[in-house]
Amino acid sequence: MTILKDVPDDVLLRRASRGDEEAFTLVYRRHQAAIYRFALRMTGSAWAAEEIVQDVFMTLVRDPQKYDARLGTVSGFLYGVARNRVLKHRERLPREVALEERNEDGSGKGVLLQDPSTPASWAEKRERTAQVRSAVLELPEEFREAVVLCELQELSYEEAAVAAGCPIGTIRSRLHRGRALLLAKLEILREVPRRVSAAR
Amino acid sequence: METFGKANVVAMNCEEFAAIGLDPEQQGEFARAQQAAAREHSIACPSCAALAESWEAARVELHLLASSTSLAETPPRVEMRLRQEFRTRHQTLKTRRAAVVTSWALAAVVLLAAGISWSTWRAQHYAKPAAMAGNLDSAVKNSSVAKSDAENSVAPVADENATLVADNEEDGFTALPGAISADNEDAAIVRVRMQRSSLGAFGLAVNEERAADWIQVDLLVGDDGLPQAVRVPQAQ
Repeated sequence: MTILKDVPDDVLLRRASRGDEEAFTLVYRRHQAAIYRFALRMTGSAWAAEEIVQDVFMTLVRDPQKYDARLGTVSGFLYGVARNRVLKHRERLPREVALEERNEDGSGKGVLLQDPSTPASWAEKRERTAQVRSAVLELPEEFREAVVLCELQELSYEEAAVAAGCPIGTIRSRLHRGRALLLAKLEILREVPRRVSAAR
Repeated sequence: METFGKANVVAMNCEEFAAIGLDPEQQGEFARAQQAAAREHSIACPSCAALAESWEAARVELHLLASSTSLAETPPRVEMRLRQEFRTRHQTLKTRRAAVVTSWALAAVVLLAAGISWSTWRAQHYAKPAAMAGNLDSAVKNSSVAKSDAENSVAPVADENATLVADNEEDGFTALPGAISADNEDAAIVRVRMQRSSLGAFGLAVNEERAADWIQVDLLVGDDGLPQAVRVPQAQ
């Protein structure tokens, strides 16, 4: 595996298509985390993200010729496939998106923040993060995609455009609208606790 | 956007501020000028300043959300499943390739065997007349068929001479095709009974309509035991 460490993705994929399992594993390990986070942030569901990652890389196993190095990077290709899978997932389960994974006892299962602050502030932050996640997940598909790619995945506009399969200008415009919508949603979410506390 | 004199700062309206001013990914001189213009505008416009402030707060929250999942990775079971699928798939491909190669090899062997068989059969087929003549010779000798016996055998139909194409030489024999002329001092004349169609095997023309008829012929058998010439007795 160490010998292949510096080998470019497209070369690894060519080797994988000839049956080199090590090359395939290396490609998987390089990209799985980014694709998983993208899927997780787009769907809000860990199991859906897992399914999507599996589907994305299964495409490479079944038909490695689908990736054409002349058309872009492996990362862009994988994001593109992941994006399609996310859309399919959303079509299949339009009303059943789990915003947060739960354990059997109903407690949260999300990734724990390494935060040394007090339990109260930790709980407040956690609640706020859940609200932001909810606001992002409620954005229309294309705006959510732009926000996730550019704000959460921290891709450049160019990379996001490749992943979303659209021009950079479209990404900018979607991001602009997505931000406006997100701000409005977050404002509403901020207002609700205030009103609740005022009523008390 | 309008340019403000010396400072080369462009004026920005609220719409432009919302579209461009909140965009952090701007580089180059033009972008720097835009950022300066955005700053100018936010100082002058309280609502855009509030918008910028809200967006900054939202960015912090988005960053928190991103960091809450920044360590998230696909569970190891997915890698295991994928590798298993990869192995199965490529193993199947290898098996398929091996099956294809084996099939082609088998087909080639069958073709080769068929070719050899055909060639052997062909060689045997062309060697048949000589073999048949030898068989006839031995058969006649073994059964002690003498000239007198032949004369006493059942007489075939009278007009067979008309259908048998054979030139009568001085001695009445027609040399067989491929027969090597040699000294035939010890040659023997053997009378045999055969179907007319068998004359075809000696290279003689045969009336096919009467090919099944039985006739008597004289064979001139050389010293080497092979028939050299054939003769149809005049009675035939």
